[in-house]
Amino acid sequence: MPSGVGWFEGFVDGLPNNRVFKFVASRILVPYWAWRTPVKPLEGGPPPSMQPGDNVQCMMNLIMPLKDKSPIGRALAALAVAQNKDEIFAGLDNVGTVHFARFVIVDNNICMFSVYDGDFTNYIRDFVATIGSVFNNVVALVEKGETVMPCEQNVEAFIEWVHERDMYQVPDLATDLFKDQEAMNGSKAASGNDDLRQLPPRLILQLNANPNVSLGSGYRAYPGYSAAQVRHKLGLGW
Amino acid sequence: MDNSSEANSSEARRLVDAVISDFPDHKPGTRPVHTLGVGVEGYFVASEVARTYCIAEHFRGQRVPASVRFSNGSGSPVRHDGWSDVRGMATRFRLADGAATDLIAMTLGEFFARTVEEFFEFTKAAQPKPIQKESPWRKILDMLQLKLPLDDPNPGETASAAAGMLDYANRHRFAQLGVFQAAKIGAPVSYARATYHAVHTFVVIAPDGVRRHVRFSWQPVAGVRTTEPDAAKRDDYLHQELKDRLRPRFPARFMLMMTIGEAGDAFDDPTRPWPAKRVRVVMGTLTLTKVAEDQAAAGEHISFNPCRLAHGIEASGDPILHARRDAYEASRELRGGASCPFNRS
Repeated sequence: MPSGVGWFEGFVDGLPNNRVFKFVASRILVPYWAWRTPVKPLEGGPPPSMQPGDNVQCMMNLIMPLKDKSPIGRALAALAVAQNKDEIFAGLDNVGTVHFARFVIVDNNICMFSVYDGDFTNYIRDFVATIGSVFNNVVALVEKGETVMPCEQNVEAFIEWVHERDMYQVPDLATDLFKDQEAMNGSKAASGNDDLRQLPPRLILQLNANPNVSLGSGYRAYPGYSAAQVRHKLGLGW
Repeated sequence: MDNSSEANSSEARRLVDAVISDFPDHKPGTRPVHTLGVGVEGYFVASEVARTYCIAEHFRGQRVPASVRFSNGSGSPVRHDGWSDVRGMATRFRLADGAATDLIAMTLGEFFARTVEEFFEFTKAAQPKPIQKESPWRKILDMLQLKLPLDDPNPGETASAAAGMLDYANRHRFAQLGVFQAAKIGAPVSYARATYHAVHTFVVIAPDGVRRHVRFSWQPVAGVRTTEPDAAKRDDYLHQELKDRLRPRFPARFMLMMTIGEAGDAFDDPTRPWPAKRVRVVMGTLTLTKVAEDQAAAGEHISFNPCRLAHGIEASGDPILHARRDAYEASRELRGGASCPFNRS
C-alpha cells in the first residue's frame, strides 16, 4: 500500500474524533440533514402495551425548564419540593402505585423521575387529586406552567402538559427506532425496506429534535412486580 | 424410518450443508459452525428457588457435574479469537440417573430467522463475498451523511458475509436486530466474561404442574468485557486465557438466569427478544474448575443438542429449535461425533 494512501486513510479514520470535523458535523451537517429530512420529536413516555408485565414499573422522566434561570430560581424550586415533603409522602402512600419518585435539578430544569404501575393518565390523575397543591407549587416555577394552573381544575390539560414534557424512551431493541418513527408517521408497514445503516443518522436527527431522552425502559433488579406486590410480599401492609 | 422422519432427516442434512456452504474453507469432519472450541469441566448448583419453578433434576439443589464447550462462532478451521464474532457456550448437565440435559447458548441475544425457510434464505445471503474495502472517499461520504463508515476488514480477511447479511436485513425486518447486534458484537477478553443467551423459548414445569414459557441465559460473575475494538487483534488467546484463569484455584462462575414470558410474548420467534420488564429468576450457579485435559473428547467429539432436555423441561413450538434438534444430530453423524452416552432416552 503506498504510504500516501495509508496516511490519508489514517486521517479519514481519525475524523470522527477530530475536533474540526466534530464541529463541522454538529454545526453544519446535522442542521443541514435536519432541514433536508425533517424529523418530528417522538412522543414521550412508555409505549402502550396490553401485556401485564409492561404495565408495571413504568417510567416517567419529566424535564421542566425553570422560569428563573438563576441560583435563586433553582433554590425556589428546591424549596417548593422541600416544603411539601409530608404532602408527597401522603400522596405516595395513598396512591399506592409508585415505586419511587425523585426531584432533580439539572442546569435550569426541575426534573421529576418516577417509576409507577398502571396507566400514565390515571397515575397523574390520582396524584393531582391527592397532592395537586404540590404540583401547583412546582409548576408555578416552570415555563408555561401557568397555562395549566390550578392543576386540580385543569386535570386533562395538566395530563397533556406533563405528557409533553415526558422524555421519549429510546427502544431497548435498537432497530425498533424504525418502527417508532413509522408509527409516528402513520405508516403500518409490517416489513421494512430499511437501510440498517440509516439507524445512526436517524438517531442523531431524533436527538437533534428531541435532545432529552431516556435510554431504554430502564434496568430493574426485580422486574415484573408492582409496588403493591412488593409491599405485600415484604409484609409492609398498605 | 417413516416418511416424516425421512423428511426431517433430509431437511436436517440440507440445513447442515447450507451452513457449511457459508464457510468455503470448512474442514470435513468438523462442526459446521462453532468449529473451534474448548472443553471445560465444572459443576452446577441450583438456587433455593429453582425447584419451585421447575421439577427438572438439575434444579433440585444438589451438585450436578457439568461439561461446557466454549466456541468461536465461525465454521472456519482457522482461529481468529480476536475478530468480532458470536461465541458459543454449550453446557451439558450430567444427571445422577445417567441421563443428561443440554443448554446451548450464544453471545448474540437473538437469531436471524423465524422459520427454516427463512434460515435457508439467510444462509444463501450470508455466502461470503470478496470484501470491497470502503475507500477513504466513500468513508467521508458516509460521514457527511451522518452514517458510520463500514469497518475495515480484519488483517488477512479477504471475504466476508457481512455485506450479504446487511442486504438481507435491509429487506427483512425480523433479521435486523440480529444482524445489527452481530456486526458490533466484538471479541470477549475471556470466554468467562461474556453473557450467553439460549435464545429459544422452553417450557418449564413446576411441582404444582404450572407450565411457564421461559428463556435462559448465562451471566458471568466476573462481568462482561470485550477487547478494545481498535487494538491489534490477537488470533489465539481465549483457550490459554481460560487455562490461566482456572489454574490458580480461581473458578469462573456463571449465573443461570431464567426469564419468564407472558402471554403475548414471542414464544416461538427467536428473532425477537422479550421486553426487559419480564420477571427474571436466578436458577443457579455454574462453577467452572478446569480446562478438560482430553480436548479431543471434551472439545471435539462431544455432541450437544438443544432438544436434549431433562424431564420437567420441554421445547416450545419454535420451528428453529425443532429444526436444530435434527440438524445437530445430522451434523454429529456427518463428523462422527459421539452420541450422548448419558442420554438413556
